Amino acid sequence: MAVGGNNRSRLLLVILLVTSLFLITLDLRGVNITSSSRSATQSFLAPIQRGVSDLFSPVGGFFSDIKNFGTTKSELKELKEENAKLREKVILNDDTLGQLKKLESVLDLAGRGNYKVVSARVIGKGSSATFSQTITIDAGSSDGVFKDMTVIGELGLVGVVKSTTSTSAIVLLMSDPTFRIGVRIARSQSIGVLLGEGDSEYTLQLLDPSGTIEKDDVLLSLGSDNNKPFVPGVPVGFVKSVKNSRLTLTQEAVVSSYSNLGSIGVVSVIISSKNGGPKDALIPTPRPTPTKTIYVTAPPMVDTATTTGSEENN
Amino acid sequence: MSWSRVGFSSVLLLFFFVVQEAAISKINFPIAGFSLYLCVVLGLMALEDRFGAISFGFIAGIVLDFSPSSDSPFGKWALILTIIGYLFSRNRESIGDFTERPMAFVLLVTAGATISLIIFLIIGLILGENNGSILNNLKTIFGNGIWTLLFSSILLPIIVKLRSLTLTSRERI
Repeated sequence: MAVGGNNRSRLLLVILLVTSLFLITLDLRGVNITSSSRSATQSFLAPIQRGVSDLFSPVGGFFSDIKNFGTTKSELKELKEENAKLREKVILNDDTLGQLKKLESVLDLAGRGNYKVVSARVIGKGSSATFSQTITIDAGSSDGVFKDMTVIGELGLVGVVKSTTSTSAIVLLMSDPTFRIGVRIARSQSIGVLLGEGDSEYTLQLLDPSGTIEKDDVLLSLGSDNNKPFVPGVPVGFVKSVKNSRLTLTQEAVVSSYSNLGSIGVVSVIISSKNGGPKDALIPTPRPTPTKTIYVTAPPMVDTATTTGSEENN
Repeated sequence: MSWSRVGFSSVLLLFFFVVQEAAISKINFPIAGFSLYLCVVLGLMALEDRFGAISFGFIAGIVLDFSPSSDSPFGKWALILTIIGYLFSRNRESIGDFTERPMAFVLLVTAGATISLIIFLIIGLILGENNGSILNNLKTIFGNGIWTLLFSSILLPIIVKLRSLTLTSRERI
C-alpha cells in the first residue's frame, strides 16, 4: 500500500512540476493568459483594497512612524506648537487633511509643469513575497489612466503605471530593481540612466564619458517618445554621493529620490504634457532658512528725581 | 485528502490571499514585509500527508501567481510551493505530527518561508530576472523570517483548529 501511495505521490509531483514549468514557459513566451488573469484579480481586489485602505490608513504608517522617530525628534518641539494652534481650529479628520495637503502639493507640482493630471489615492501595496515594489491606486482606465504613464508625488517622480483595470491601476515604484529612467543633470545637462536598487537609494550611470557629477546635483527626467512612459522635466532626485571608480568608463553616483516612497498617500498620473515639458521649471529650490527677529522694547523710564522730590514735599 | 477539505482549504487560501493583498501588504513593517499568506499555506501544508502537501502546494502557488503586484512569470510560485510541499511531506514522515510540538511547527514554517523566498530568488536568477541588490534581498528574507516567526506562533494554533473541523472521522483517528 505504502509503495503504491508513494508511487502515486511521485507521479503527482512530476505532473505538477511539469505543469508549473509549462506555465512558466507559456508566460515567458508571451502567451497572454497571465496578464489578463492578473488584471481580473486586480479588478476583484480593487474595491476591497479601497475599503480596507480607509480602515488601515492610520495603522499602515504605524511602524514607519516608529522607525522615523529618531529623525523627527528635532521637529517635535515645532510640531507641539503647531499642534496647539491646530487644536484651536475646527477639528477635521486628520487623515483627510493629510491627504488634502499632499494632493495640494502634487497638484502644485503638476500645475507648475503644465501637466494634465488625474489624481488618485494609494489603496494598496505590493506583497513582500513578490520582491517587486508596487502600489495600487484608485484610478483606472475609466479615469483616463493607461499603461506607461508617469506617476508623480508631491515632490517628484514616484513611478510608472504598470497595468490598469477600469477602476484601479498598479504603479511600478521607482525603487523597484527593474525600474530604469533616462535623466539629465540640471546643472550640466549631462544625461544618464537612473537604476532602482530595491531600497531608498538609486544608482546614476552617466552616459557621457566626459560628463561630471557633483554632490547635490538635481536630476530631472529626460522624457520619452510621445511622453510614454516618462514625460520630461519631472524632478527625480539629487546626487547624494559620487562613486569614484577607475574601473568604469563613466561616472556613477548614489542618488536619493525627492519622493518618500514609504509614505505615499496621494499621487497624480500625468495624462499629457504641454509645450514639450516644463524644461527646468520644476527644479526644487532649497527651502529658505527662517530668520528670527527679536524686538527688544525698553522698559518705561521712571523719573527718580521727580519721585524723590514729591516724596520730600509730602 | 477529502474533497470537503480541498474545498475548505481553497476557500481559506483565497480568504488569506485577499487579506494579504488588501490589508497586510499596506502595513510598513520594519526591516521587510510579512507574508501572511505564505505563513498560512506553509502551516496547512505541514499538516498534510505527501499527496495532500504536494497538491496543496501547487494550488496555493497558483493562487499566489495571480497576485497583481507580481512581476514574475505565472507558474513560478506553483513550482516553488510544489517543491516545498514535497520537502515538507518528507520531513513530516520522519518527524511525525507537528500538532504535538508547537515550537518545531513554528520553526518549520519559518524555515519554509525563508527557503521559499530563497528558491524564488534562485529561480529568478535562472530565468534572468532582476531582483535588486543581494543585501536588499537578504534584508527582505530576514525580515519576512522574523515576522513569520513572531506571527506564526499566534496563527498556527488557529489554523490547526480550523483544519480539524474539516477532518473526517476516519482522518481524525
